[in-house]
Amino acid sequence: MMTRRLFGQRARLSAADLVVWIVPLVAVLLALAVGALLLLALGANPIEAYSVMLDGAFGDQAALFRTLTRATPLLLIAIGICIAFRGGVINIGAEGQLFVGAVSATAFSLAAGPTIPAPWIAILTLLVGFLGGAAWGAIPGILKARFDVNEILTTVMMNQIAIQLLLFLLSGPMIDPEQIRQGTRISQSAQLPESSWLPRLAPPSQLHLGLFIGLAAAIVIYVLLWRTTLGYRIRAVGLSKDAARYAGISVPRYLTLALILSGGLAGLAGSVEVTGVTHRMVEGFAVGYGFSGIVVALFGRLHPLGAIPSAFLFGALLVGAEKMQRTIQVPSATVIALQGLVVIFVVSSELLVRRWTARRQARALPSAPVLPGVPASASHQEVSA
Amino acid sequence: MTGSSMTLDQILVEALALMFLYSTPYLFAALGEVFAQRSGVLNLGVEGIMLMGAFSGIYVISSKGLGQEPMVGLLVAMLVGGLMGLAMAVVSVTFKAEQGISGIGFTLFGLGLSSLLFKSLAGGVITAQGEGFQAVTIPILSDLPVIGKIFFQQNVLVYVAFALVPISVWILNRTTWGLQIRAVGQNPAAADAMGVNVDRVRYSTVILGGVLAGIAGASLSIAVTPIFQENMTAGRGFIAVALVYFGGWSPWRVMAGALLFAIANNLQIWAQILDVQIVGQSIPPNLLIMAPYILTIAVLVFARQRKRLEPAALTKPFMRGEN
Amino acid sequence: MSRKFLALILILLLSLCVAGLSSAQDGPVRVAIILPSSTTDLSWSQALYDAAVAVQTEMGGEEAVEIAVSENTWDVTAAADAMRGYAEEGYNIVIAHGTQYGSSLFELASEFPDTSFAWGTSSDAGMDAGLTNVFAYDVRAQQGGYINGCMAGLLTESGVIGVVGPVPAGDAILYNNGFEQGVNACNPAAEVLVAYTGSFGDTALAAETANTQIAAGADVLTGSAQQVPGAIDAIEAAGGYWFSTDVDQAPNWPETVVASMAYDFSGVIEDIIAKRASGVNGGTAYELNLEDGVTMVYNEALEGVPAEVWEAGRQAEADIRSGVVYPLAVLPEEPFRIAIVMPSATTDLAWSQAGYDALVEIQQQLGGEDAVEIAYTEGMFDVTAAAEALRGYAEDGYDLVIAHGTQYGTSLFELAPDYPETAFAWGTATDTGVDQGLTNIYAYEAGAEQGGYVNGVMAAMLSEAGTIGIVGPVPAGDALLYINGFQQGVLATNPDANILLAYTGSFGDTALAAETANTQISAGADVLTGSAQQVPGAIDAVQAVGGYWFGTQSDQSGNWPETVVASQVYNWTPVVGSMIENVLKGTLGGEAFNLTLNNGGLEIVYGGVEVPQEIIDAANAAIAGIQSGEIVVQQELPEA
Repeated sequence: MMTRRLFGQRARLSAADLVVWIVPLVAVLLALAVGALLLLALGANPIEAYSVMLDGAFGDQAALFRTLTRATPLLLIAIGICIAFRGGVINIGAEGQLFVGAVSATAFSLAAGPTIPAPWIAILTLLVGFLGGAAWGAIPGILKARFDVNEILTTVMMNQIAIQLLLFLLSGPMIDPEQIRQGTRISQSAQLPESSWLPRLAPPSQLHLGLFIGLAAAIVIYVLLWRTTLGYRIRAVGLSKDAARYAGISVPRYLTLALILSGGLAGLAGSVEVTGVTHRMVEGFAVGYGFSGIVVALFGRLHPLGAIPSAFLFGALLVGAEKMQRTIQVPSATVIALQGLVVIFVVSSELLVRRWTARRQARALPSAPVLPGVPASASHQEVSA
Repeated sequence: MTGSSMTLDQILVEALALMFLYSTPYLFAALGEVFAQRSGVLNLGVEGIMLMGAFSGIYVISSKGLGQEPMVGLLVAMLVGGLMGLAMAVVSVTFKAEQGISGIGFTLFGLGLSSLLFKSLAGGVITAQGEGFQAVTIPILSDLPVIGKIFFQQNVLVYVAFALVPISVWILNRTTWGLQIRAVGQNPAAADAMGVNVDRVRYSTVILGGVLAGIAGASLSIAVTPIFQENMTAGRGFIAVALVYFGGWSPWRVMAGALLFAIANNLQIWAQILDVQIVGQSIPPNLLIMAPYILTIAVLVFARQRKRLEPAALTKPFMRGEN
Repeated sequence: MSRKFLALILILLLSLCVAGLSSAQDGPVRVAIILPSSTTDLSWSQALYDAAVAVQTEMGGEEAVEIAVSENTWDVTAAADAMRGYAEEGYNIVIAHGTQYGSSLFELASEFPDTSFAWGTSSDAGMDAGLTNVFAYDVRAQQGGYINGCMAGLLTESGVIGVVGPVPAGDAILYNNGFEQGVNACNPAAEVLVAYTGSFGDTALAAETANTQIAAGADVLTGSAQQVPGAIDAIEAAGGYWFSTDVDQAPNWPETVVASMAYDFSGVIEDIIAKRASGVNGGTAYELNLEDGVTMVYNEALEGVPAEVWEAGRQAEADIRSGVVYPLAVLPEEPFRIAIVMPSATTDLAWSQAGYDALVEIQQQLGGEDAVEIAYTEGMFDVTAAAEALRGYAEDGYDLVIAHGTQYGTSLFELAPDYPETAFAWGTATDTGVDQGLTNIYAYEAGAEQGGYVNGVMAAMLSEAGTIGIVGPVPAGDALLYINGFQQGVLATNPDANILLAYTGSFGDTALAAETANTQISAGADVLTGSAQQVPGAIDAVQAVGGYWFGTQSDQSGNWPETVVASQVYNWTPVVGSMIENVLKGTLGGEAFNLTLNNGGLEIVYGGVEVPQEIIDAANAAIAGIQSGEIVVQQELPEA
């Protein structure tokens, strides 16, 4: 398995490893070069813009912490996406699973906050967030396993359902009583009791314990996927449903499980964000994280440990680009276009990496599979040539 | 609030007429996606292409922009969509990039670029009231009771969209190109062995998908809603992709899905404006807004699934000698 | 030693001040703005951005004010980062233009005490949290909504009006609530179709929603958020009309937009800059309303809109400004149940009717019987029976129970604690029982002496004989205030006037009131006034001799248009509206309301008598004088 090669026991850095990391970086630079043309067209100085961006993401300790804070939920989502894609389900629904997780965590914390003492309430709140996301992920999982309903369709649809559900809860049953009293009626929940907040690591920055939860989750899921029978079965189903079935693995069960775990991690991301950063659910919470999380996972080569640098990079991109908007005053759309370019260029550069490694493998191990990329979706038969 | 005095059948006539109008963008985009997917390419960039098509189309026709004929706007939108499709093809076919992620890249790029162009070229909201494609009333037929309103007083592009459905079926099932598309989507290695240029076929379908997504966007901005505002597609591209799965890659059933989604959405708007109540309580609007999405999933659960048309090589880049 | 220390501190402080002042004068004021949507959204975000640019232009361009913008900051975490970034980069004023940004803003404000933070919509300037560098701004969007709604109600030909909302929250819902009230108030027959898109920026869905409403017969539409261009386009295509909010949208759709409620945040921004210049970094909660910051823009170039529609719009605007009309921020989701217990009949042309009419009016404004349910018990001169009625209504679960008589107070204070979930109100009174620990009682009173004074001025000028009669019930309550004010008005205008004052000792003895009036007429009075439900007898008597009457409490000109010159009308509608609004927000009491000429609770309403212009001028001068405080009307008559 290529990934084991990358992240496994071997500590020696080989040329292949270097290529795997250098090529995407070069691709990022190329994307930024194209973006420079955009910036020039807008009358901005690209060099200034990019140095501001770099400064915003890594310039000082505060910037670095900001990047890490933004990377935290992306990392958790991405780890979940790894499980789903490895298990052969294309989970586009992280956005909705995150919302449902965050909103269940909020409801639990608000309801149980006064009765459960300090460390336990925070832990249980995170757990409830995980369960909420898992439940939302279970629906497309069961629909796929039992009724063979395509998960891209269900997860896209369920994102919309989750957004409306969130809006409904935040403007109705869960609205902050203060919002009613003041008559402002903004869609937001009451503030969570302080006992369920995650500790801040370096105040005044917002960096919180969630970062370590994310790192721990990456290791746990890595071990789960590559060191346990359960993980082996999930991946087996992802690689080939038919082969898995021959091996006596219950394909529906592991499809569902992959989506449940994937949703659970997105839900955990939501509850970590709400207990660590915002301390209440509010309309405008974690917008677009679900999609960014997918990109992060794919950048990290669908490996939980690969997701760590990938989430960091993406968090930096987001934070740096926002600083660029603030300082250079380019429209926010520039930033979005730039992100698109980075994604397109990096994903295109994969071919070079793949060719390189394939050539090496061809020398060493002729029949080894190519880089994982996205494994065959479980609904698609393997094509044998 | 009191209930409207309209009768149920009047409401249904209106809703059905609006259903055809509002399903049009979905239909264009989803048909394009059918071609791409039948050849084995998942294009998640439809949303971004639609946005570019929507902007370029209206900018060309609006008197606030270039002030050209609607047809010119449509052609430019097709061109822009086609170029985006070409770029997507380069990335996903030539560079063999992972298709889901590159699609998301194109969605982001299209969203950003269309907003940027909108801001720098137009500076603010563009309207093209009366400048875009108009509804046509078909003589005699449009005067028929009920069906006249539903079928024969629609926008030109509505007829085009629905005419494309049988045409797509014919292309896919009755032409050599269609045969090649299906072969490439099912078993690219075998197709390759039989002398089909896999990459060229996939280029053609992805570009066609881009052109149709461009039209889908333009149908929004120069026919259905003659206006442009940042991110005006608001997720319709993703719904279009979902509808391809709903329809099991069959243009007819994709059409059924687009119609179902459009009618469900329109009926939830009716339920809101007529203040439909359950046990004396108004239904919270957000719960009604969810309904079309839930319904689409539910129909798929209860309808018999047919995966006969599923392209086996979907999402898989073709590399000669490696698959 | 300590003196030296003090001196050192003083020098330090001084130099700090100088440094502060010079740095304030050096370079431009740096303003950073965080917007949830785009600067060109034709809506909420654009309204603030345009205001900032206007302030910049006015103050001398980029050298005076530097503006930085982060737009489309939907994500609250990104917004928090942006706020921090701006604060760190030394921006002087950071404006977070969305309520959702509040939590992060408060966190940051304590960390950057030299930076001013502003946010809205909110009324919380962080004073409770001990912050001194936070400004808040709130928007009474329901006011413009009401005006638009009133005009829309009169403009619609089909009788169907559509509202395209984003999500039912925030200032959108304030606007929509106001709009519905305006339609109800000006055209109760019109039907309002409300639909939400569940999104802020889905232009196409807004268009579809609008088209669906048009298909359902709507010819006039309104809506909010940056999605509306789609809806405006749709209604334009259908040849209908549109009412806008947030910014003036007429320039883009001159053929369709009738009127816009436009926010003007420039006053807020200017004031923040000025406050900072004087060393104040925060602590003010602004409210944008029609008086300040909310502008109605009427697109009068628009053809085909009847004159009466423009007139009604301007009238509604004037009425809201003066307080005569009070659009509520909140609408009841299920029928709001009000009960009133009153001493006399709902048609007494006096105290009871004024109270009852207010309930009917607010019922219409809020949407009829589906919105407000009214129960009343009239003729409750017996205090014990009244107490029973009050208790009964509380038992039945009414939301608001009004004891419409000073005499009911004692019983009310006894029974209110038994029904902590029920809101009570009583008047005329100023005591809400807070001292006794009661939290569910509102009190209300009328500054009847004010209108009494105005009536008195007119009466003195109108009386040829110089003799004026007053038919009072008992010398107490609002009747006494009225009579005292009336006398002051008369004597201020004609110190030689002869005032004949008599009390009947009763409220409802019409015959006795007639007899009293006739007696005064025989004594030479040609202009009379009086109070309580007994007055019809007196007015009849005045009419018989061709004299003039001034009324109070209700408009009494209906039956005697040639006799009643003017009436001081109690307009309880805004008070009842405020109470309903508070109850819906969960506050059941503790506030005392007072009707005055200033707050629109008191109005002078003329009858059918042709009054010479100079008298009307004098009355208006008296009103203006009272409003400005130039004329002080005493509640007690000065000892002669």
